[in-house]
Order: sequence, then C-alpha cells, then structure tokens
Amino acid sequence: MPPAPRPLLAGLLAGVLLLPTFRPASVSAQVSTPAAPRTIAIDERLAAAAGLAVGDTVRLAATAGSPGDLVRIAAITRRGADPSEVARNEFKVRLHLDHLQSLTGSGDRVGRFAVRSRGAPSGDAAAPDRVAAAINQSAFGFRAYPASAVAVETSSTFRVVNRFHRAIGVITIVASAIFLLCITLLKVDERRRDVGALRLIGCARATVLRAIVLEATLVALIGSILGAALGWAASAIVNWYYQGVYQTPLRFTLVTPGIVGFAVALSLVLGVVSGILAGRRLVRTAPLELVGR
Amino acid sequence: MIARLAIAALTRRRARTALTVAGVAVAAAMLLDMVMLGSGMRESFRGFIDQQGFQLRLTPRGTMPFDSEATVGGATALVATLRADPDIVRVGPVLGGKHFVAVDTGVVAGFLLGIDPAAQGDYRLEAGHDLAAADEIVVSTAWLAATGRALGDTVRVAGGYDPQLRRATGERTLRIVGQGRFQMLAASDRAAAVPLATAQAMGGADRADRVSVLLVETRGAADAEAVAARIEASEARLTALSTEAALKFVDERLGYFRQLAFILASVSLAVGFLLVTTLVTVSVNERIGEIAVMRAIGVARARIVSQIVLEGVALSLAGATLGLGLGLVTARWLNGILATFPGLPAAFDFFRFEPGAAFRALGLLVCCGIAAGVWPAWRAATLPIATTLREEAVA
Repeated sequence: MPPAPRPLLAGLLAGVLLLPTFRPASVSAQVSTPAAPRTIAIDERLAAAAGLAVGDTVRLAATAGSPGDLVRIAAITRRGADPSEVARNEFKVRLHLDHLQSLTGSGDRVGRFAVRSRGAPSGDAAAPDRVAAAINQSAFGFRAYPASAVAVETSSTFRVVNRFHRAIGVITIVASAIFLLCITLLKVDERRRDVGALRLIGCARATVLRAIVLEATLVALIGSILGAALGWAASAIVNWYYQGVYQTPLRFTLVTPGIVGFAVALSLVLGVVSGILAGRRLVRTAPLELVGR
Repeated sequence: MIARLAIAALTRRRARTALTVAGVAVAAAMLLDMVMLGSGMRESFRGFIDQQGFQLRLTPRGTMPFDSEATVGGATALVATLRADPDIVRVGPVLGGKHFVAVDTGVVAGFLLGIDPAAQGDYRLEAGHDLAAADEIVVSTAWLAATGRALGDTVRVAGGYDPQLRRATGERTLRIVGQGRFQMLAASDRAAAVPLATAQAMGGADRADRVSVLLVETRGAADAEAVAARIEASEARLTALSTEAALKFVDERLGYFRQLAFILASVSLAVGFLLVTTLVTVSVNERIGEIAVMRAIGVARARIVSQIVLEGVALSLAGATLGLGLGLVTARWLNGILATFPGLPAAFDFFRFEPGAAFRALGLLVCCGIAAGVWPAWRAATLPIATTLREEAVA
C-alpha cells in the first residue's frame, strides 16, 4: 500500500487504532433513552472538558450536524505515556470495532491489525521482522511493519528535540566551563598574599599548586553534588508541571545515575583544569610580588 | 578620566577580564537565542498566515485546518452565502485529500488541494502559470522529483487507491502547468493543486460539493473576530478560526519551547549578573587601599562609584556586543537542527531576529551589569578612609 500523505495521518491512525478521535463538538449530552445504547470509553481530558462521567449518555456522530448514535460512557481512560500525543490536545473516544464501522460507514474495513508474534515475548528480537517479512510475502493489499520500524518513524520528532537539547547542553557546558574557570581564577587570585607568604616560608611551588588544585577539586565536587541535588529537584518540578499541563503520565526529564555521573565527572575535570591553570599562573609569580612588595 | 581609570582597572588583569567578557558573551548569546526562540515561532507562523491574505479559516466544527479528514457539505451554497456578506471580500474554498500517481517503480502518493485559483493562498507559483482549466495541475518541486515529470507533461492522477484490488480510483488525466511552493507544507511534501471541482470529482460521491476549509478575507474595517462570531452563530457546522486564535493554538502546541526559552533566558541573565558582580567585587576588594588613597586625596565619592559602575557596564557592553554575533551564529545552528522537524514548512523559523526584542534583551543584560557594579561601588565609596588606609595601604 502506498504511504498516506501526512496531513491525513491523524484520520488514518484513528482508523488504524480503532480509537477514533472525535472532536468535543460532536459529543453533546442527551437524555438517556430506554433502548440499550452501545458503550464507549472516553479519555479523562474529554470527561473533564465536557463534564462527563461514567454512566452518562451522549450522542456520538462522525461528522458535526449528523444525528449519530446515542451511546453510554462505560469507562474513562487515562492518557498513555506516548510522546507523540503530548502536544496534541485531542480527545479520544474508544468504540467497539463494529460500532465504529457502522457509525463511519466503513463497512467491514479496518485500518490496521496489531499482530503479536510468538517469538517476541520469549526474547527473540528478530521474530517481529521475520513475521513481518513472511506476511509481506503473501500480503495482498496491505503491508506489515515491525513495531520497531513504526517506533522509528513516529519518534522522528523527538530525535530532533533530542538533538536540540544536546546542542543547548553543549552551550551550557561551554558557559559553565568559562564560569568555573573565571570563578576559580578570581578565588585563587584573592589568595595572592597567602600564597606569597607560603612561598616565602619555604613551601615548594608543587606543594602550593597541589593545595590549590585540591581546593578547586573540592569546590567542584561539592558544587556538583549540590548541582545534582538541584537538578533532581528541578527535574521533579518539571515533571510535575508538564504532567499537569499535558495531563499525561509521561516523564519529561530523567535524572539517571549515568547523567549524574557525567555531570559530576565533568565538573571535576573542569575544576581540576581550572585549578591547575589558575594555580600555575600564581606559583610562577615572584613571592614578593604576590605579597605586594 | 573616569573611563580611563575604569579601563586601567580592567586591563590590569587581562586574563581575568577576558574570561569574564567571554562568560558574559556566552550568557548574552544564550539570552539572545532564547529571546529569538521565544518570539520566532509565533512571528514565523504569523508570517505564514498573513502572507496567505486571509483573516479567517472556516473548518468543520471543532477541527483545525487539515487536522483530520472532516469536510463540510453544501460548499457551493455556503460560499455563496459568505460572499453575500458585506464584511467579506473573498472566500477561498479548499478541499484537501490524497492523490496517487503511477510511476515505473510503483505508486507515488501525495497531498492534493482542490482550490479556487482566483482565491487561494496555499501556494506561490515558481514556474509556469496558474490553473485555468479543469484538467490542469500545479505541483511542488518534490512532486516533480518523485514522479520524474516536468512542466507541460500530461499525467494520470488518481484521487484514491483501493488496497485490496491495488487499483486507482477517481483517475483523471491532468496537464502540469505550474510548479509552486506550497507554503504550509514541508519542502519534501509531494503536493499538488487542482481546481476545486476536479478534486471533488476525483474523490467520488463522498466528496461531491464538499470542502475541508474555507479561507475568508474580511473587509479592512471589519473586525475579523466579530465576523468569525457571526459566522459561527449562523452556521452550526463550522468553526471560524481567526489569525489570533490560530496563533493561540500554535502557542499551545509549541508552549514547551517558549517556556524553555524563558527559563534559559532567565538563567543566562542570572549567570551574566553573577559573573560581573563577582569580578567587580573581587576587583574592588583588591583595590580597597587604592580607593582609600583616592578618597584621602579628595576624589569625590560619586566619582569612585561612577568608575566602579563603569567597569561593570564596560564588561557587560563588551560581552553583549560579542554575544550578539555569537548568538546569531548559534541561533542559525540551532535553527538548522529544529528545521529538520518532520512536516515543517521549509521557510519556518524557530529563531527569528527581531531587532527590538533582541536589543531590549541585551539592554537588560547591560542593566544587570550596572546593577552588578552598584553594591561593590557603594561599599568601596563608603569605607572609613583612615582605618582602610592603615589596614591596606600603609600596611
């Protein structure tokens, strides 16, 4: 089957998932009738926006203005942690397959079959590809895609966002490096007289340099631990805020041991390097000049 | 004299000053980028909408333009009613759908627009001429590349495709008369436009006399919002979306980037402020003796404050100037990354340089530089002269 053009993707997916997305304008509260209506499930955002609850009867139509069907809300569903849905403020209504087909006049058609292969649950990662290839060999009028291929296609937006975040991260690291170097330089410069005095009472250059580097390293270590704690708190706030805004259980930021390790290691490297640069500059200056003579 | 003293103080420790200026420059660049990001998307989208020349978009009730396959029936009567409205100048009906073209390697699928050539804002012609007959088609560059056709060719275009029978439906023979840039679509989208009646006929009975969107240009003096409200009140099947409402929708969709821009801009300002404050404070602490001597020989307190504040301003100005160039370069880099968003119009800018906003942001940074110098300057100027001289200068 040739690929569908992008602007129609939303409609295609609605059919594919059998979870059609109807706009709230198509749903209006009605008085229940004695004939047992079909049941539907709506997402919690729609329930909140339209003031609907389980047991309510509503009229559901495929197009605005058409009579549609009376249906009863049997369940309210929570939005899944799907990144591709985050920015789309759409409401979702789930119907039984035959009901949707009748409502939309689709006959006995479906948009997509979801197939679970036998090998995948037991850890055979190649099983979906094999099954998809086998189906495609004998397919007539449709095409099978392994879930991984679909994931790659649908996650392209997030790959771009990821690259953007990395770029911002690079700029932030450059700024942090300059900031740290500058602060260390200033801090070491403040100790000119102390260093001069140490050198005058006979402390070796290497000893003074080691002391300065050790001090810079400790500052970087304490700063990075505090930074990690601050980052963890910021991450919690970001998740709390955006999960509320987009009404999704999706976690927007993750503080993993790997990320903390990278941040601490980077801070330590920057601290040591800036300590060495600032310290070397200071120990090369004549002690008398350091004490202001 | 004050300026010379400030410059002398800054050049005394060149490495330290250079690092601070570099730090402020990076902070200024980040600030500028975030200001550009914060306003760029909105203004870029507004540009797209404005260049179409229509103030309202009428869609099937509750939908956004081309966000679903929903259409509105009775288009002819609807257009006639709208055109009779004294506050409406032009009405451009548009039907969106898909189309298929058979090529040697299989089938090329694309987006098809049925339009009224006299009232359309979806594409700009780059070559050839506009639609004048029912059997003519205007296509995008990507469409020509995918199908291997050229202007003047005749091509069989189908409005549908039956996957079970692998057979095209609603086929028409069309002549490629124009090559256009479809403004709301990505450069890689295979897009084509045909007269509305042709698109409706290609869609079969389901699409007869139906449209996806109606573009409406209101009369100059008319309030677009009022016209939108009037249309929605009189036609229950439609949602009337004004430019401002469309921008609000975009704001909601892209709210994440605006919030990120705000947070990073605030952090950049704070970093710039901290850097200048730290440097000026340390610099003043080092020169307490000198400042006490200057005060002792009669230099006015105000002059000392001015000199120290000037140091902060000089650091901020130098950093902001460097940051302006750096920010424009990094904005271009970041825009290049975000431009690869799938389905985004080719000319869409996430980072747009708005001189007013940019210079206001950099001005704010310089103000931070001034504020950063005030406290250490005041502290230095109010030191007890005799005690400081005894402790610092004489010792």
